[in-house]
Amino acid sequence: MTGDKQPSVLVLAIGNPDRGDDGFGPAVAQRLRRRVHPTVRILERSGDALALIEDWDGIPSVVIDAMAPISEPGQVHRFDLTDSPLPIGFAPSSSHAFGVAETVELARSLGRLPRYLVAYLVEGEQFGTGAPLSLAVAQAVGDVAERVVNEVLTILKAKGKGRHA
Amino acid sequence: MANRTIQVDYIARVEGESSLELSIRDGKVDAVRLSIFEPPRFFEALLRGRGFGEVLDIVARICGICPIAYQMSGVHAVEDALGIEVDEPIRALRRLLYCGEWIQSHALHIVMLHAPDFLGYPDAITMARDHGEAVQRALALKKTGNDLLRLLGGREIHPINARVGGFYRVPTRAELAPVAEALKSARDQSIESLRWRASFPFPEFVRDYEFVTLRHPDEYPMNAGRIVSSAGLNIAAANYETEFIERQVPYSTALHSVLKERGAYLVGAMARYALNRDRLPADIRALADEVGLEPICRNPFRSILVRGIEVVYACDEALRLIASYEPPSRSCVPPEPRAAIGHACTEAPRGILYHRYRLDADGTILDASLVPPTAQNQDVIEEDLREVAMAGLDLDEQTLKARCEQSIRNHDPCISCAAHFLKLQVYRT
Repeated sequence: MTGDKQPSVLVLAIGNPDRGDDGFGPAVAQRLRRRVHPTVRILERSGDALALIEDWDGIPSVVIDAMAPISEPGQVHRFDLTDSPLPIGFAPSSSHAFGVAETVELARSLGRLPRYLVAYLVEGEQFGTGAPLSLAVAQAVGDVAERVVNEVLTILKAKGKGRHA
Repeated sequence: MANRTIQVDYIARVEGESSLELSIRDGKVDAVRLSIFEPPRFFEALLRGRGFGEVLDIVARICGICPIAYQMSGVHAVEDALGIEVDEPIRALRRLLYCGEWIQSHALHIVMLHAPDFLGYPDAITMARDHGEAVQRALALKKTGNDLLRLLGGREIHPINARVGGFYRVPTRAELAPVAEALKSARDQSIESLRWRASFPFPEFVRDYEFVTLRHPDEYPMNAGRIVSSAGLNIAAANYETEFIERQVPYSTALHSVLKERGAYLVGAMARYALNRDRLPADIRALADEVGLEPICRNPFRSILVRGIEVVYACDEALRLIASYEPPSRSCVPPEPRAAIGHACTEAPRGILYHRYRLDADGTILDASLVPPTAQNQDVIEEDLREVAMAGLDLDEQTLKARCEQSIRNHDPCISCAAHFLKLQVYRT
């Protein structure tokens, strides 16, 4: 974890804005800035998923990511990963060594999962280089941002912090 | 003996997408195909028409694991073309940056990708339940390497701070101090990790490789040196294309590089160690002896130990470079464009990485050639597979398949790097 003071909650927005719907996480992160408590840290990540273990370092975390379509593009799924892995079908293997699902399970094996870990996954439609968000996924950005604000608020309340997210 | 086909559709725990097909007929290995089906990425074509100053940002995108290698071969080749000699502190900072990449790349491969093979686990996640400490050590090492990349490169993935002539910004001594503390601990952890692996069961398997590596008059090679081989090759990077040639195979999107005279050759940690052991400090040579590494290791399964030696060395070398660091008076030698051709070869974690650029008078790239280590090791990987399969003909299907996959991982192939190259001919009628 970089930074001087440990944040109260971590929002990990995963994805590449230059790869179509993979940019969902960063798009939600944009909406969240200035809407959450100053002690909440928003990090955008792409590439090395293993570094997430260092990022969350025990801090309650909300992960936002895109996934391959399984039913309907734009559909949002929420998973509490604190006690259980991503269900089969939501955890595709990465050809590049370690993806988010593998990293979560590795952290679980090592006892390095945060005490609260929730993931919001949107079903993507297009992941082409340079492509924008598809319409269906773009429409989900605001809704997920709102849900993450509430998620963070719930965590902070449980920790006895501020009245707003 | 019945005919058999061993097929692995997706080779796991390597960077990128590939498959393996091995055909056994009448008790002999009939065909071996390491097929790389990852789409070609046309980086050489992408570079054409770009300015020399864009090279580092473009080539860093080739690989998320070894972007520094691409930046270093790129920057040296462009500087070779432009006739730039960088100041000594800049040279030292580049070597320090390379140490960071060796540490993080080797740490990832050794424990997270390769070690499960030796201990019979399907992956590092399962292995972590029984060997949590070893995995924690690897994560800590990887983090230290990444910290170094972040400080010198601006960020750990696709760094942005290196430039032709030097860096955009150089660190202060105070900024390097906490990394030095982390490196001291990383050095201890890398030694513990190496000793842990020394007890692994290693298959008895020896190959007579032609090793190809850089060789520098004083240093264990990273950024500089002549290209040498165990068969007597000794050339400057500018002569690379007179000795080596890339050829296309129908089943792969990656080119295979071979020596024009002698064919397959091996690059990477085993080659570096075999031909540069005398460039390692005495205490690290003693450590190699302690873990049972012979001066020339020809068993590719034991490459996991050789990489471990290189991690210890990279920690040591990084500490030495930080201790002697004085910030340079200028962060960059201003580059002046000119029409010229530049060549360079540096030591990526997986082996030598060759770059050539032809520039016109205003510094525009007219053409480029990039030869990554995995393209160079593909013939060797296939030859290894042939011999591993011959030695394991009596093994059951699953065991032989696992042994073949392990054999591929011995060379830490980076498939994504290798799949840059495909000559595309369009015939229009």
